[in-house]
Amino acid sequence: MSRLASLPSLVGSGRAAFARHGFLAVVGLAIVGFAVANPSFLSLANLVNIVSGAVIPLIVGLAMTLVVALGAIDLSVGVALDFGSAFAIVALKDYGVPWYLAVAIGIAGGTLVGVVNALVVVRFRVSAFLGTLGVFFIGGSLQRIFTNGGGPISFRRLPTEYYDLAVGDLYGIPIRILIAAALVVGYFLLLERSALGRKIHAVGQQSRAARVAGLPVGAIVAFGFVCAGATAAVGGLIASANLRMFTPLAGNAYLMDAIAAVFIGASMHRDGRPNVPGTLTGVLFLAMVANGLNLMGLDFNLKDALSGVILVAALAFSVIQHRRRT
Amino acid sequence: MTEAKAIEPPGDAPDILSLDGIAKAFPGVQALDGATLRVKAGEIHGLIGENGAGKSTLIKILAGLYTPDAGSLTIGGGRVAAGSPDAVHAAGVRFIHQELNLVPHFTVAETIFLGQELAGPLGLRTGAMRRAAERFLKDTLDADIAGHRLVSDLGIAERKLVQIARALIDGKARVVVFDEPTAPLTHAEIDHLFKAIEALGRRGIAMIYVSHYLAEITRICHRVTVLRNGRNAGLLERVGPEDTGRLISLMVGRDIGHLYPRHDHTAGAPWLRVEKLSLAPHYLDVDFEVRRGEIVGLAGLVGSGREELVDSIAGLLAPARGRIGIGGKQLRPGSTAAAARRGLALVPRDRRNDGLVLAQSVADNINLASLDAVSTAGFVRRDAAARRAGESIEALDIRPRAAATAARLLSGGNQQKVVLARGLATGADLFVLDEPTIGVDIGAKAEIYALIERLARDGAAVLISSSDPTELIGLADRILVLLRGRIVVELTRDAADLDRLVALTTGGDATEGQAA
Amino acid sequence: MSALATPGGRALSAAVVSAVPLLVFLALLAYFGARAPGFLDPATLILILKQAIPTAVLGVGLSFVVIGGGDDVVAGGIDLSVPSIAVLSAAIIADQLAFHGTGTLAAVLLGFMAAVAAGLCNAVLVTRIGMTPLLATLASSTAFIGFSKLVTANRRIDLSDPLIVTLRDGTVAGLPLGLLAATALIVIAIAAVHRSRWGLRLQAVGGNRDAAVIAGLDARRFVAQSFLIAGVFGGLASLFVLARGSGSTPGVAETLLMETVLATFLGAAFSPRRVVTVWGAALGAILVSALSIGFGSVGVDVFWTGCVKGGLILVVVAAAAVARRSRT
Repeated sequence: MSRLASLPSLVGSGRAAFARHGFLAVVGLAIVGFAVANPSFLSLANLVNIVSGAVIPLIVGLAMTLVVALGAIDLSVGVALDFGSAFAIVALKDYGVPWYLAVAIGIAGGTLVGVVNALVVVRFRVSAFLGTLGVFFIGGSLQRIFTNGGGPISFRRLPTEYYDLAVGDLYGIPIRILIAAALVVGYFLLLERSALGRKIHAVGQQSRAARVAGLPVGAIVAFGFVCAGATAAVGGLIASANLRMFTPLAGNAYLMDAIAAVFIGASMHRDGRPNVPGTLTGVLFLAMVANGLNLMGLDFNLKDALSGVILVAALAFSVIQHRRRT
Repeated sequence: MTEAKAIEPPGDAPDILSLDGIAKAFPGVQALDGATLRVKAGEIHGLIGENGAGKSTLIKILAGLYTPDAGSLTIGGGRVAAGSPDAVHAAGVRFIHQELNLVPHFTVAETIFLGQELAGPLGLRTGAMRRAAERFLKDTLDADIAGHRLVSDLGIAERKLVQIARALIDGKARVVVFDEPTAPLTHAEIDHLFKAIEALGRRGIAMIYVSHYLAEITRICHRVTVLRNGRNAGLLERVGPEDTGRLISLMVGRDIGHLYPRHDHTAGAPWLRVEKLSLAPHYLDVDFEVRRGEIVGLAGLVGSGREELVDSIAGLLAPARGRIGIGGKQLRPGSTAAAARRGLALVPRDRRNDGLVLAQSVADNINLASLDAVSTAGFVRRDAAARRAGESIEALDIRPRAAATAARLLSGGNQQKVVLARGLATGADLFVLDEPTIGVDIGAKAEIYALIERLARDGAAVLISSSDPTELIGLADRILVLLRGRIVVELTRDAADLDRLVALTTGGDATEGQAA
Repeated sequence: MSALATPGGRALSAAVVSAVPLLVFLALLAYFGARAPGFLDPATLILILKQAIPTAVLGVGLSFVVIGGGDDVVAGGIDLSVPSIAVLSAAIIADQLAFHGTGTLAAVLLGFMAAVAAGLCNAVLVTRIGMTPLLATLASSTAFIGFSKLVTANRRIDLSDPLIVTLRDGTVAGLPLGLLAATALIVIAIAAVHRSRWGLRLQAVGGNRDAAVIAGLDARRFVAQSFLIAGVFGGLASLFVLARGSGSTPGVAETLLMETVLATFLGAAFSPRRVVTVWGAALGAILVSALSIGFGSVGVDVFWTGCVKGGLILVVVAAAAVARRSRT
């Protein structure tokens, strides 16, 4: 009798394991598929290429992980990224500040966007979606106004140290990867190990219960938006260093992938909550798909359409997986 | 209130509805054990019982929402399959739930006709629906409500009448079940609702009236079925106001007492002080204090303003006027974080939604409000956190003894202990407990009572808000009775007996209420 | 019944707060009228209306979803993909007409089929897979945009097809044909949502899902239908998008999205019940168009309009949030 009784739970736990790791199976299949289509997919140079191309999406994804962990969403991460890039380039070009000051000013630019979001969402109680959508439009418009219609601001004579943020290396490891690694570690410590991280998850999972427990919910949400803005700005610094210019509205390109990576990552977590390793997996998966499709020599536009479909499918898959588990 | 009932009792009319020998068990609880409810055509039949007596389970079985383990349901002489909401609806049973469940931006006419709209070739016949709705409200419920008004602009009583009209508009209702229909209403509004109910009775519709308000039960019902511990405790015929005492004794039985660890407390310094606190229309000019080492009870029915008052003290709801002080310091209103900093711990009534972060582990929940104590430089020392959680689990006998279990998997009683453990871990010295034993089985109840008793003995100030009068009498040193937003009387432990407390909270003792 | 308490003072202050967006708008229009001579001429007014058509049709489509899903953007109904459905359908129609020699009717039919399929895809993602409408339509819109780029190879296609030209320039009794056609569509949508049984039930599903279920309605079916209809309106809007730009232009989806969301939620500020309505969305579109043209006519840099519109979203939504808080 006891053996019979334990059978369904065994099947159940097997299914749960598949649900959690099902996405990894998909990732594995994709890797095999791309490698068969083009063996150079697995070459070290290409793998480094994938990782280094994933740095900016990863940074934006980390910012989004924090905000989604709080039960909110931030559609203006791209604006924060652009502001980081714009503030730094303008400080370097027009004011000739040293590179480290430019970094600080760039991060302050992204922080500003986060502060506005926090104000709108926490103070004025606007839903995070509509509030950050408004900031998204205002931020885009401000960039157009500032650049007289969206032309890039380029600055060829970047200080070497600043340029190295994107292209330099330290003991053979690209600096941009080091920056991303540092942020991954920092976010991991914040969300998975720190006292604040516990509070963040409590607010995101059951905001009212967190409030009853006496947590300062408003302040925690505000912190999340501000921190996300500052983080996204780091992505903007790297982007501007890479191209040696500020490209208005460039940040918006990262928004959808960041959201997708967070939800894919959340579906892999035991409790279905956003988490840093999951986001990392999600970002690398999307970067890999983009790279693999490129290597297959597909038309640029076809690639866009395919990656859109893969995005929808991956999200749908992760939602189904998550639902099956709960 | 001694005048004759507005409609005659049905006498020897046949039963139009009968639930016979109903049994229903939930994990750990036998909610119903052979309960019976028989209703005659044209009568208003009261159904009463304490929390946990099985009233709501019986109603849900009647509604087809639960399938009974045993027993039968007969309506109008025909057997009706249990567990089928559609079959019950087709047999002409309608439910007026406590929740209004209306679309706020719909008009009265739209609300009443939703699902059976009048439409012609040119679309909805708005005018015809409005007129029909107004006529129906007037004829059937004796109410004048304009059909074009929005639900969000209606008073609560008007919304209740619209809700009733919606349930009855198809004209096929034979039995109407009212679940606590008067809870949010004022006296004048209740009179109006009763007029409507009596108008229905004159049309030969049978009604089942579920309520805690005994004064209303004795005023409007012809017969009353009393449930206790899932069984029939009695059936009273020709009920009148003089029966209140009998109803109370049937409801509560006489075997309480051993549940409660009676100790005498030595009250210390005044700790929680509430002054002229008001939030119309919920509560008005509330004044009281709770001393250290003292347990103060707060009694009052649903809708008496008790919930809002507790929420305001805990910082969940900002009061409109008045002051709250803890330990001599003024509290910033409307902030749970400020209250927590002053050493207040709240055990909320809605445990599942408000009490715990259900997806997180027991350990995380215990430490949630005092993470800084187990952290160094902002990082949680996982061993320290686990150790403290383990100690709490041990001390409060939380089962299972596994700190990593997700909180949602615990039983109600153990969840409640986790909420208490969280408050204890913060070193709180003011505990506000809102319905601390709701949905908790009898064994866990005793343990929770012992814990509350220990809190007071250790010098904390304790405020217990409860809809269970026996609990308040068993635990509290003083009991404040809230009736329709005002504290009408304060009972000391010696003066508090069950009959008197029930009478006071139900408004059954009008003289006492006015004197205070 | 008059003796019963009604929430008087609070409702009043809520009404004042939620009137703020409307007041801001009226003030701006008055400003344009005073500063730009000719702003209130019939010719300008017609231009405003014509410019508003694509947004109005899209906003009407979006309003079906919001009405059926409730106006809580995260948990309720939202369809961010309506503009990209229009862009996809427009791309297919333009490509077929310009490069494949397809007949007008067949090309339009193909575009429509794509739009309906896109709506169906959203309906499945939301009601079958269980994704929140926000996530589902945010993701599906990237796929739709991807497809439209694939179809047009990401370049502008100019059209001189008679249907498109007629829709742009044709007049009936002195009134622009496109305007009349769009008005007819909007009138049909208003009748469907605000004058029919189905529409009342759709509103109930969005207004209080429990109430709808108690009334015996299949809430999921209504939500699915609302996404399908939004797809259909995306397809219909594609014709007007083509007519306004005389062809398919890449990159218009983002602008359209902003204007559509703004128009739809702005519309709620005008409705006496403070909820999203079909006619409110259409009116909102006209006001947004008046703003764009008004700013142009007083010589404000075109780049500022995004700023103003984003700010308006914030004002409208914050006012709604404040009004809701003071109501409960």
